[in-house]
Amino acid sequence: MNKKVSYLVSVGIFILFAGVVVIRQRTPFNLSLLSGYETLVFEGFRNTIYASFIALFGSVVLGFIFYLLSASKVRFFHAFTNVFTEIIYGTPLLVMIFAMAFVIGPAFINRPSQQEVHILGVVGIIIYITPYMTNIFKSAFSSISDEQYMAMDLFGFTPFQRYRYIIIPQVIRILMPPLMNNFSLIIKGSALLSVLSYRELFYAIQIVQSRTFAFTEAFLLMWALYLIITIPLSQMTRWLERRWALE
Amino acid sequence: MKIEVKALSHTYDVQVLDNINLVLDEYKAVAIIGVSGSGKSTLLRILSGLEQPTRGEVFVNGRSVKEPGYKKTVGFVFQNHNLFPHLSLLENITLILEKTRGMSKEEAHAIAMENLRLMSLEDQVNKVPKNISGGQAQRASIARALSVNPETIFLDEPTSSLDPILTHEVLTAVENLRNIGKGFIFVTHVISFVRDFADYVIFMHEGKIIEQGPPTFLDNPQEEATKAFMQKVR
Repeated sequence: MNKKVSYLVSVGIFILFAGVVVIRQRTPFNLSLLSGYETLVFEGFRNTIYASFIALFGSVVLGFIFYLLSASKVRFFHAFTNVFTEIIYGTPLLVMIFAMAFVIGPAFINRPSQQEVHILGVVGIIIYITPYMTNIFKSAFSSISDEQYMAMDLFGFTPFQRYRYIIIPQVIRILMPPLMNNFSLIIKGSALLSVLSYRELFYAIQIVQSRTFAFTEAFLLMWALYLIITIPLSQMTRWLERRWALE
Repeated sequence: MKIEVKALSHTYDVQVLDNINLVLDEYKAVAIIGVSGSGKSTLLRILSGLEQPTRGEVFVNGRSVKEPGYKKTVGFVFQNHNLFPHLSLLENITLILEKTRGMSKEEAHAIAMENLRLMSLEDQVNKVPKNISGGQAQRASIARALSVNPETIFLDEPTSSLDPILTHEVLTAVENLRNIGKGFIFVTHVISFVRDFADYVIFMHEGKIIEQGPPTFLDNPQEEATKAFMQKVR
């Protein structure tokens, strides 16, 4: 069986399985029940993307700051980032979102409003993803060999030129694929913001389900919408990995 | 090419060079040989200005290797080509010429092409290092070293990671540079190349120069360490 056929058959099997699941439901499958809720679902979809981009941006910035701290010669900074990383690695994302919204946030904001709770939830995601971003920066910068630094020194590049023409272009190539993987993690993780009543995709679908009782239809629609973003993202990641590989 | 080394010692965690003294004049190609860990690569890096010695003075062509401008007189070919992996062969050279030598795009392009042609790489100029063979990458590295118009070219085991065919390809390319008016200082394990190309050979053992002279001394070494080395590489 060639590669293309193998993939087509595999996709077919999963579609078939979804079909079996649909048929075996007690109520008949009726997508028209969802009509009239397009705006609500679209708003949820948009909010998922919106919150994910903010979390991506925040975690990239914070991850870079933590990378600088971990690369610092000051021993305390190094220890601080290690302890932070261990705490985060041991914490489930749901716990982090709850902690930020209902424990840590209220310690600094007096009776946070609903909107502030949502922001705190996104901050929870940012903090949760930060150590993973730090790791990406660490591996990207460490992949520039000592010999390359020697060559830059030998040829007489200024510090600015080193970063502008040699280090950053390579770091971006190494950084992008895992960064996109993390973005996918953020998008999937953002569904947990629904526990804060943030109207992202999962929460919007729950509203539709409660109003229409079209559980299967709404659920499959939601699943498909997540996959519409995450599958192209992972495919693009693989493409970039191949195209931008330096060795 | 003039080399003057006075009481040179160098230490990392252990002492790798131990009180080296050397005065050479009018030699065009100097080979540094010895077993791994004998200090030959460290000596080469210090002579090229890539590393600063812990103690002692080193002069090449009358300039101290500590002088800020010294590195601009040097071309260096690393063990594993060490080309910038995100740039094409052409860009690997033009970037250096434009940014660090202040040349115009056209000038840099012309010099880069001239040297890549000299290394028979004119068909490969737009390829990135990962898409060419190890031998081609090493020749591109030589072209890069030549492009900065150095007085001296240093080669640090340029064929250590290559198979015999690619080794021959690279060493032939270096031999063809014999009459370009540059000095060569190189480290290698390929003794046939040392005999063909070098006009002076330094044999190192445990951080010291223990035997030196024109390559003919390799036929009749006096020191036990040199004899043992020559028996292994012959």
